[in-house]
Amino acid sequence: MSSLLTHIAISDGKVKRASLEVLSRCKELAGQHGHTAEAMIIDPDAAEYVDRIKEYGAEKVYLVEDPIFKNHINIPLLKALNSVITQANPYLVAFASTESTKDILGALAAKQDAAVLSDVSTFSLTDNGVEATRPVMAAKILSDTQAKGDQILVSVRSGSYDLIESPSDPEIITVDFNFEEHELKATLREVLGASGDKIDLSEAETIVAAGRGTKDDKGQALIEELADVLGAAIGASRALTEAGIMDPSLQIGQTGKVVSPQLYIAVGISGAIQHVAGMANSKVIVAINKDPDAPIFDIADYGIVGDLYKVLPPFIEELKKIKN
Amino acid sequence: MKFYVCIKQVPDVNAPIQIKEGQLLQDTDRMILNAYDASAVEEALKLTEDHGGEVEVVSVGPAKTTEAIRKALAMGADKAVHIETDGNRNFDSASYAEILAAFFEDKEYEVISCGKQSQDTDAGLTGGMLAEKLDLPYSTNAVGLDIENDKLIVKRQGDAGQEMIALPAPCLVTCSNDMNEPRIPSLKGIMQSKKKPVETIKLSSIGIDESTLEPQTQVTGYREKPARQAGEKFEGEPDELAKKVANLLDEEANAI
Ligand SMILES: Cc1cc2nc3c(=O)[nH]c(=O)nc-3n(C[C@H](O)[C@H](O)[C@H](O)COP(=O)(O)OP(=O)(O)OC[C@H]3O[C@@H](n4cnc5c(N)ncnc54)[C@H](O)[C@@H]3O)c2cc1C
Ligand SMILES: Nc1ncnc2c1ncn2[C@@H]1O[C@H](COP(=O)(O)O)[C@@H](O)[C@H]1O
Repeated sequence: MSSLLTHIAISDGKVKRASLEVLSRCKELAGQHGHTAEAMIIDPDAAEYVDRIKEYGAEKVYLVEDPIFKNHINIPLLKALNSVITQANPYLVAFASTESTKDILGALAAKQDAAVLSDVSTFSLTDNGVEATRPVMAAKILSDTQAKGDQILVSVRSGSYDLIESPSDPEIITVDFNFEEHELKATLREVLGASGDKIDLSEAETIVAAGRGTKDDKGQALIEELADVLGAAIGASRALTEAGIMDPSLQIGQTGKVVSPQLYIAVGISGAIQHVAGMANSKVIVAINKDPDAPIFDIADYGIVGDLYKVLPPFIEELKKIKN
Repeated sequence: MKFYVCIKQVPDVNAPIQIKEGQLLQDTDRMILNAYDASAVEEALKLTEDHGGEVEVVSVGPAKTTEAIRKALAMGADKAVHIETDGNRNFDSASYAEILAAFFEDKEYEVISCGKQSQDTDAGLTGGMLAEKLDLPYSTNAVGLDIENDKLIVKRQGDAGQEMIALPAPCLVTCSNDMNEPRIPSLKGIMQSKKKPVETIKLSSIGIDESTLEPQTQVTGYREKPARQAGEKFEGEPDELAKKVANLLDEEANAI
């Protein structure tokens, strides 16, 4: 019997949904293979989140509490992960594939001498080790991948698994941790533009995504109005983040974020493969584009061929009516 | 500052791809410099132009890994090292990190710069692995770089905001293509690149025996991604289209 250990990411005082998806999957695998599902929380107030984790069946929860985890810094996070892993001695360590995870995963694998599969969309346990599916070639193709060894790390794309509630009464283990100033070889000077009250794109139910077609003030105002009516998060194509019109953290795609909302409305976006790589798993896709041959229409459930400046005002009005 | 930029030659994801019996059939004529590495080269060139220093590129790959090296030299890199593999093996990020770590062991530098991920596999692991093996302070997903005395100032894109991080040299950074627009090599750059030194070395010269380099992960096969069906595409009067689709979203798709 081995431990399947899920790292629980905290953002803006909340447990990330993507981490609970990973925990749900590990709990399911633990049940199938006779392993135990465990979780770790590394945060200044780690203990506060235990209640939330309990709903998803962790049998042990490791806590590392230190004020240094207020902001993401890779060196102390690696040290904490290392401490927990040494204590828990898990077979599998699973992460939600966030930017913070991407920052430490390679270094952690090298430190632990563990095999690692990053950004997977499915994973399971077999006699041969861990098998996973990874989207490759800008997510045009799926690769079946295998990792062998005594310890395996995986990071999982958000939206890959459903949440499965399975209440438990976990054993809580506080892991000793102290970090000296001099260990901090790199110094975090400042965090710019952390979006406090905005909706987290990777968890949003509805996303309005703006492309080059919306680059002027009028286009931007329409995007905001549309998002407002739907209570949607706003995302962007690279054309807009590159031009400095939209915040870089809103970029969706191969360089940006992977999202999987119930509804994705692409406005003035052509549908380049690198953009589609980040949004093709949306449940319902709407595209508004004046070019009838734009590739975005190949994957849209509902396509509106037309000038967004003419289509959006009546579209917003109609949605308002429906919403009331 | 002395910059080493690790560059990888990758298949062009825009080229047609076929899968036959689980294998990827790629058009091997369309190999390119990884887009994220092109940004890493560009930024190293800009910083050394402003602050002095040198840019050397390093690439691990079979004999035909010439395109990426040629491109980087034509952009303006000073010299190149090609660590040649026999090309019959599939390596993963950990294998490349091990090879690169062996190469860097006796080298002097201020910065090792990598791409944040390979454009074809999106693994995003090599940089962090290399930093750990060389015990270097590092940062990933950089969208801006600057030099301040002996420090590299990294603006990194985090989950929500951007983080400003000061790394003391020697250090390692991985670059996003959001960092800059890589220059297109000029004719002069291309001509000059032909005279630039390219050192080709064997794995054995850095103490690595290729036959015992065992990747920890393995691709067992490739599959087409189940295609999304294109739905309905509506053309006509904007007012009517807007109304129609809004109502379909409400009643048919239950999406609002
Ligand atoms: C390695 C790599 C990684 C990348 N990663 C990403 C990524 O993460 N995310 C990303 O988005 N891109 C990414 N890209 C860039 C990508 O290839 C495209 O360049 C980008 O997505 C284009 O953005 P766009 O669709 O907004 O602009 P365009 O391609 O210029 O399309 C604009 C569209 O708007 C339409 N339009 C214009 N005016 C109107 C109007 N008035 N009404 C209606 N429609 C209108 C046009 O018909 C056109 O289809 C990456 C590229 C590379 C090489
Ligand atoms: N064969 C290689 N030669 C040189 N650099 C490499 C090689 N493989 C990976 N890298 C570096 O690591 C980055 C990508 O890592 P990964 O996504 O793990 O493949 C690339 O952008 C390069 O900077």
